[in-house]
Amino acid sequence: MSPLNSRAHLWRSLEEAGGDPGLLARATQEFPLLAKALADPVSRREVLKLMAACMAWSGLAGCDSKFGDALIPPVRMPVNVVPAQPNFFATAQVLGGYAQGIVVEHVMGRPLKVQGNPHHPASLGSTDAYAQALPLDFYDPDRAAQVCVRGNPSDRAAFEAAFSQERARLKARGGAGLRILTGSITSPSLLDRIQSLLLAYPEAAWVGWEPLSRSNAHSGARQTYGSALDTVAHLDRADVVLAFDADLLSTDPGRLRYARDLAARRNPARAKMSRIYAVESTPTLLGCVADHRFIVEPGEVERILPWLLDSVRSESPTAAPAGTRPSWMAALIEDLKSARGKVFIHAGAQHSAAVHAQVHLMNEALQARNATYTLIEAQNAASPAMPAELMRDMHAGKVTHLLMLDTNPMYTAPRSWDFAAALKSVPFSAALSRHLDETAQQTTWFVPLAHSWECWSDARAYDGTVSILQPQAQPLYDGMSPAQLVDRYLQTQSRSSESIVKDFWRPRLSGDFAQTFDTALAQGLLADTGARPSSVAPRASAAPASDSEKSGNPAAPAALSLVLRADPSLWDGRFANNPWLQELPRPLTKDVWGNPLMISPALAAQHQLGTGDVVRLRVGDASVTSPVIILPGQAPRTITALLGSGRAASGRVGDQVGVNFHPFNALPGTVRFEKTDAHMDIATTVHHGLLGAPSEQILRHQDLSEFLGADQTPSAAASPPAATLYQTHPQGPAQWAMSVDLNACIGCNACVIACQAENNIPVVGKAQVLREREMHWLRIDRYLAGDAAAPESFFQPVLCMHCEQAPCENVCPVGATLHDAEGLNLMVYNRCVGTRFCSNNCPYKVRRFNFYAFAHEQHRPRESWNPEVSVRARGVMEKCTYCVQRIAAARIEADRDSKPVGKVTTACEAACPTQAFTFGNLADPKSAVLARKRSPLDFAMLSEEATKPRTSYETKVRNPNPKLKGVA
Amino acid sequence: MSNASETLRADAPVIGPNLNLESMTDRISRIALRERAHAWWWIAFIPSAALTLLLIVAIAYLFYEGIGIWGVNWPVMWGFAILCYVWWIAIASGGTIISALFFLVHAEWRTSINRIAESMMLFGAAAAGIYPVLHLGRPWLFYWLFFYPNTMTLWAQFRSPLLWDFWALFTYVFASVLFWYVGLLPDLASVRDRAERGLKQRMYAVFAMGFRGSSGQWRHLRAVYGVMAAIMTPVVISIHSIVGLDFAGAATTGWHVTQFPPFFVCGALLSGFAIVLLLIIPLRRFLNLEDMVTGRHIGVLAKLLLTSSLLLAYAYLMDAFSACYGGNPGDLALLAARLHGEYAPVYWGAVLFNVLLPQLLWSRKLRVHIPTLMLLSLGVVIGMWMERYLIVVTSLSRPTLVSAWGVFHPTFWDWATLAGTVGLFLSGILLSVRFVPVVAMHEMRALIVSAQARSE
Repeated sequence: MSPLNSRAHLWRSLEEAGGDPGLLARATQEFPLLAKALADPVSRREVLKLMAACMAWSGLAGCDSKFGDALIPPVRMPVNVVPAQPNFFATAQVLGGYAQGIVVEHVMGRPLKVQGNPHHPASLGSTDAYAQALPLDFYDPDRAAQVCVRGNPSDRAAFEAAFSQERARLKARGGAGLRILTGSITSPSLLDRIQSLLLAYPEAAWVGWEPLSRSNAHSGARQTYGSALDTVAHLDRADVVLAFDADLLSTDPGRLRYARDLAARRNPARAKMSRIYAVESTPTLLGCVADHRFIVEPGEVERILPWLLDSVRSESPTAAPAGTRPSWMAALIEDLKSARGKVFIHAGAQHSAAVHAQVHLMNEALQARNATYTLIEAQNAASPAMPAELMRDMHAGKVTHLLMLDTNPMYTAPRSWDFAAALKSVPFSAALSRHLDETAQQTTWFVPLAHSWECWSDARAYDGTVSILQPQAQPLYDGMSPAQLVDRYLQTQSRSSESIVKDFWRPRLSGDFAQTFDTALAQGLLADTGARPSSVAPRASAAPASDSEKSGNPAAPAALSLVLRADPSLWDGRFANNPWLQELPRPLTKDVWGNPLMISPALAAQHQLGTGDVVRLRVGDASVTSPVIILPGQAPRTITALLGSGRAASGRVGDQVGVNFHPFNALPGTVRFEKTDAHMDIATTVHHGLLGAPSEQILRHQDLSEFLGADQTPSAAASPPAATLYQTHPQGPAQWAMSVDLNACIGCNACVIACQAENNIPVVGKAQVLREREMHWLRIDRYLAGDAAAPESFFQPVLCMHCEQAPCENVCPVGATLHDAEGLNLMVYNRCVGTRFCSNNCPYKVRRFNFYAFAHEQHRPRESWNPEVSVRARGVMEKCTYCVQRIAAARIEADRDSKPVGKVTTACEAACPTQAFTFGNLADPKSAVLARKRSPLDFAMLSEEATKPRTSYETKVRNPNPKLKGVA
Repeated sequence: MSNASETLRADAPVIGPNLNLESMTDRISRIALRERAHAWWWIAFIPSAALTLLLIVAIAYLFYEGIGIWGVNWPVMWGFAILCYVWWIAIASGGTIISALFFLVHAEWRTSINRIAESMMLFGAAAAGIYPVLHLGRPWLFYWLFFYPNTMTLWAQFRSPLLWDFWALFTYVFASVLFWYVGLLPDLASVRDRAERGLKQRMYAVFAMGFRGSSGQWRHLRAVYGVMAAIMTPVVISIHSIVGLDFAGAATTGWHVTQFPPFFVCGALLSGFAIVLLLIIPLRRFLNLEDMVTGRHIGVLAKLLLTSSLLLAYAYLMDAFSACYGGNPGDLALLAARLHGEYAPVYWGAVLFNVLLPQLLWSRKLRVHIPTLMLLSLGVVIGMWMERYLIVVTSLSRPTLVSAWGVFHPTFWDWATLAGTVGLFLSGILLSVRFVPVVAMHEMRALIVSAQARSE
């Protein structure tokens, strides 16, 4: 390993070792300009200047040649770029291979804000937190800028030379020894390139490795139907949803659409309410909104399912012995059967193939197929080889060339692979990734990956719809797209990512290509590319086959199980260097900057553990120390570890945060667990332990039966206001207000990041979160009710209520916060002297204070800030403004066109997958917000404070099965 | 000069029998005119000055870095700055009450301790006065609380209790300085007349502002002093009531109580009497003032301490009662946290030091027992600080919205600033003891004359 292998070490050693002739010789080969600089006795600043210049030049050279070699600033603005007027360009966000349509908002040519693509079936206009955080990903200053060879700086020309040489050798032997390792891919053009490569190099192999794999689901479908199938659910058509460790709302490729469809059936004031049963070992988002949540240990689902399947199939109640099945099963089965044809049963992707197969059979038995869901050919099922084969070949020394495209096995590989040793035996390896990450540091060559906003690409959504991904900006760094690199095996001349995508689609699109393609770009999708429902019937032999069913042995109660889950903030770790996501409170535990093991209160009591106590976790002979956090609702003997932390080379933000649990993936052996003496402070945004049941003043909730029995007249908010002694504010032409539907909120955090991105909200870091100084304008409070072992969960987004009688306004001695005629509670940053009295007086505690100059310490370049929103200085109070910049834009437009102010959408409302937020003008009798405020469920938080908040909530209603009353 | 045990009886006269006009003026002037300070003075002054330096460092770092260096957080947005401000202003107000209110009611025991009480008021107000500015997120903009003409025609906001507070504090500090200085003029003149020629004399001459003792000057002085005393008495009630309104005027849990203004004034009385006791007991010893500050003075102050402690006990009871009577869940949760929750040590500490221990003063003997009085007074000073901590910090940490509950952890810089203001206060007191007549000589003369007239 060279001394120049890591960035932190790199610059220091070059400076210090300037006189070392050996280094100079090596450097001369690899970086002549730098070597020259080092040979001269120059100052540190000059070396850095030279480095900067080198990087800038290599960056320019890396631009697609279409732009030419010279960049000239525009004397006349490009068409359509108007100062202070945003432009919107559709593209897609690809996670785990599947696309969600997004629209990127540009201001003066800079991509700054992400919104959902309303035309796209997987988005319908909403996004998740990951998509909202894309701008910081794009502007990440830690992204690799340069080709490296064995960790040392090099350039594209050197790589091209080496690559061509190797290509010739490979070609000569038919690609023997070449392996291409990728994540899950649905991109038609990339798949085409890979297939072409495999044709041209018949001995080569393509291997797929996705840490959050969906391969079990495909295997399950293969067991049942004989081919890999994806499930496309239509949750708005399901009266009863039964989910086993659901990932429907968290990592499923259709999560945004599912959230929308699910929410459409959750508010009894607007639709017939569905009923959700969740059976799970660790709380999921779906479990938290479910009407019944049954806690089982991980192995138990496989034990229950055969009985459930038998019962569902047979007319009479199940034959299984009553003593060994959970008490809730009889009522559940009855409910499922009575809703025949309107049922959807789902199992999370991490369940075994057998579970998926049985779930398919149950759905078939309940006539749910083509009613509440359809099956389509798997969109990423180009059947790459399994990683196990690759590992066998690598360890056997059969792999001579390994190409890793946007995948990071050094970090994500299970321990059993021993990937580091295997990689050492590969003579020529190349990694294409965005950072000089764990894998890239160990490979022969590293080539920066172009960000999806810097190159052309395409991808399919959960239902097969194709989106074209178009670049959003001039490349910031000298990156290549995966298709470009694969293409280099097939073409002697390097092609731009644009021509690869266009050349692929040109013969495949009917009609005028340019027109069709441009329409696809504008729409963000290729129309009618959604997959047709498969009509394949279940195989006759697809009888349930589960070993545990035959033995019927319950899992030994004393055994612990370790469950690995995607991090709700960091996915599989690829977002680790994104400070917004690192500081995003996880939906259930509200912890940030780290991934403590989640354990049940019972396990904590047994081991006398408190949140933050460090434990040593052993699985087989592997062990790791990590703090724990107590998670009510967790199965007693289950330990949940979140993947995605513990990065060693993600960048300055994500390194050394938390623990990497990827090595524990599918690790055999007994799970053991012991307390150590250490304690680590866990930064959470709930600063006072776990929250008890919310009072009626804070969050109202009821059962459907109570709702149906109650008087359903429109709530008081819509009726004329009672006489008041208080001064009322002058009434302007518009009256802004918001309604938040607690039945829709799934706690997914998309709104939190959307707000952060829109409003230039700084990140404060772990130390400051520990000191209770986080800055989120919009937070999601989580409340629990009932038994800590199996509590009922509630999510409540809290943002500025814009009280008509705002307590904050009275107490500011300089009048820095005041009311406008349209009902907005304004914050005049320039006038604020920082007495902080407003925050003390705010009953909702939505005000945030700049204790330090947070905004000046952000890990992001200046051009990434939203120019429409002031960046707040040290010592100034800030809070939600109802996105006043968007309101102002609407006012200007209305003034210009002499018409009433039109629809304004706040950032949180736009992002929300479930449309929990409705913002609008109360003075407009047709506005959606007025309709929502007329809901009989409408209530104001802390109404006793008489603040008359403009933000109100809709009561959380649950629809429990009456037959399950009192049954755990 | 009579011996110490004689003068310490609670029924001792307010002045010793051997005190006459000449000896009194002589002794007091000599304290101010000493060439070299006493050793004990240096022993006390050097650490005080060091702490004052620490204050300067703490303020410089605060201005450089921002109030993030303190422990304030979300939701406890007000921390040591406000609680120490209230604590200091209470101490200063106690001094004003002794000096002004008891002047108006012609309490003769007030005469010899009046100057110390006024110095305490002055430096207490100085220590308090810097806090509201330091507290601001952007302290360099503190003048925006003034009504000053500006191009944007912006005015401060009348409805905010902080604005009232700012003006009350401004008035109070300004009036305190005037009150102290007016009462000092004749004494500065006396010292000037006794000083040897040189810099010292010239300095006293400058500060005496040409006071010659003409009957016209005396007439004016008495009128001004009387009027100032009549103004200061309501001003001191107003400053502390308005400090109470800073809290009562807010809608915050634990603050929104109508009794806060009088409650705060009671606290001010208690801490004022305690600090006066803490100051005069050592000073009468070190400066040989036993025959001017006698057991009568100490006994009266002890009785007042007991009285104000009872008033405070009533306020504590009412505070708990109004939480229960109001029935607001937030208030009840806060009360529970104070009575038997995590804040119980602070709450019961305040009750012990401010209410329970002062009950010892029902004993006539203990009222003039020096060690007991010193310990009790020190306890009250600490207890009053705990009470402010309860009001400011614990209320904020338990807002009605349970999701916003938090915990306050003071930092080194919080403590450094508090210690620094203690240093500032002590340095000020020590400097005034060193250079300013420590007893109001012109008032003492009147007292001696009337005492002599009575004995004849």
